[in-house]
Amino acid sequence: MGLFGLTQSEDDKRATEVRTGAVAPLRAERQKCWMTRDGYFACLDANNIVDALKDEKKAASACKIESAAFERDCATQWVTYFKKWRVQDIQKKARLKELEAQGANRLDVQTDFKPR
Amino acid sequence: MSQSIASARGAFGSLSRLESRQFQRFLSTAQTSPARRPTPACLSKSQAQARQPLIQRRFKYKTVEEAKSRYRSGPFSWKAGLLFVVTGAGLLWYFEHEKERMQRKRVADATKGVGRPKVGGPFELVDQNGNTVTDRDLKGKYSLVYFGFTHCPDICPEELDKMARMFDLVEAERPGVLLPVFVTCDPARDGPKVLKEYLSEFHPKFIGLTGTYDQIKAMCKAYRVYFSTPSEVKPGQDYLVDHSIYFYLMDPEGDFVEALGRQHSPGQAAKVILDHVKDWKGPLKTD
Repeated sequence: MGLFGLTQSEDDKRATEVRTGAVAPLRAERQKCWMTRDGYFACLDANNIVDALKDEKKAASACKIESAAFERDCATQWVTYFKKWRVQDIQKKARLKELEAQGANRLDVQTDFKPR
Repeated sequence: MSQSIASARGAFGSLSRLESRQFQRFLSTAQTSPARRPTPACLSKSQAQARQPLIQRRFKYKTVEEAKSRYRSGPFSWKAGLLFVVTGAGLLWYFEHEKERMQRKRVADATKGVGRPKVGGPFELVDQNGNTVTDRDLKGKYSLVYFGFTHCPDICPEELDKMARMFDLVEAERPGVLLPVFVTCDPARDGPKVLKEYLSEFHPKFIGLTGTYDQIKAMCKAYRVYFSTPSEVKPGQDYLVDHSIYFYLMDPEGDFVEALGRQHSPGQAAKVILDHVKDWKGPLKTD
């Protein structure tokens, strides 16, 4: 119990530090954060929410579990950053689509998170 | 009487044979050297033999069919065609190769000499082990410089993974010619210890550089890197840093060669680096 309690609190301490930005997340922590982020974004997509910061109430009620996981696993700064990034990314994709419809040439620039 | 007839017939026969032979000779000489008057009586045996190969060369085909097919195909054969294609392909490859080399040379030389935009320059920073590193330590080898910070949410870790892959690709071909360098834009939080832990997850050979705010600011200015780190940070305050996300390829003299960006895959970037390394004529350390 003592050891378990100790490791548990160590993990909690680390998670809190990651959340507040006191320490930089390591690879495993980043992966976890990105996974919950993708889950949260999928939920926003399903509920047709573009800006989770503007439609805060709607997002909170529609994606309660996903949002909690996202905020638990990612630094608070990252949560805000990713929410803003999503809005920009959606706008960018819409604009690209519009430009492509007008016959613009596409340049090879990667904007998503997929590694190559 | 009958004898005389026989002799006369024989004489006639020999005469007619002689005539026909003369006629043949006449034909042959007329064909080979029409300018010369035919003098069958003076034709010696040696002359006839000397002309023999000439006559034979005209009929180098064993059969009429062979000659006809040669005539039909003209000077084009599969051998001639192959030679043409191979020579053409060879020349094309050579010209393309030279063109690419000249283009790379132009890119590499664009920052050399007078009146050129200068990227890079002298610096003095501290690596992840606490040792002082200056621009002189990077000379003699190519270096790949990337700016970032450990609290970076998405792009830096991806780009550092990419940098590790391209470094491995370059190492596999030309070991020891490239130094992978990571410079933090966030010196307030990224001390040597933090950098060491962070970079060990990407590649053991990465060199992480940090320093005071002013040192980093000077470094970013020298490399024309934009960054937005607040100079005064309250304890416990979390923030993100905007920064340029290019890899800067620097040559062994410390001059900027080329910027590699998000559009390059690790394989493409490694090829660009290796091509520049191949073009380099000066001294190159590989230890």
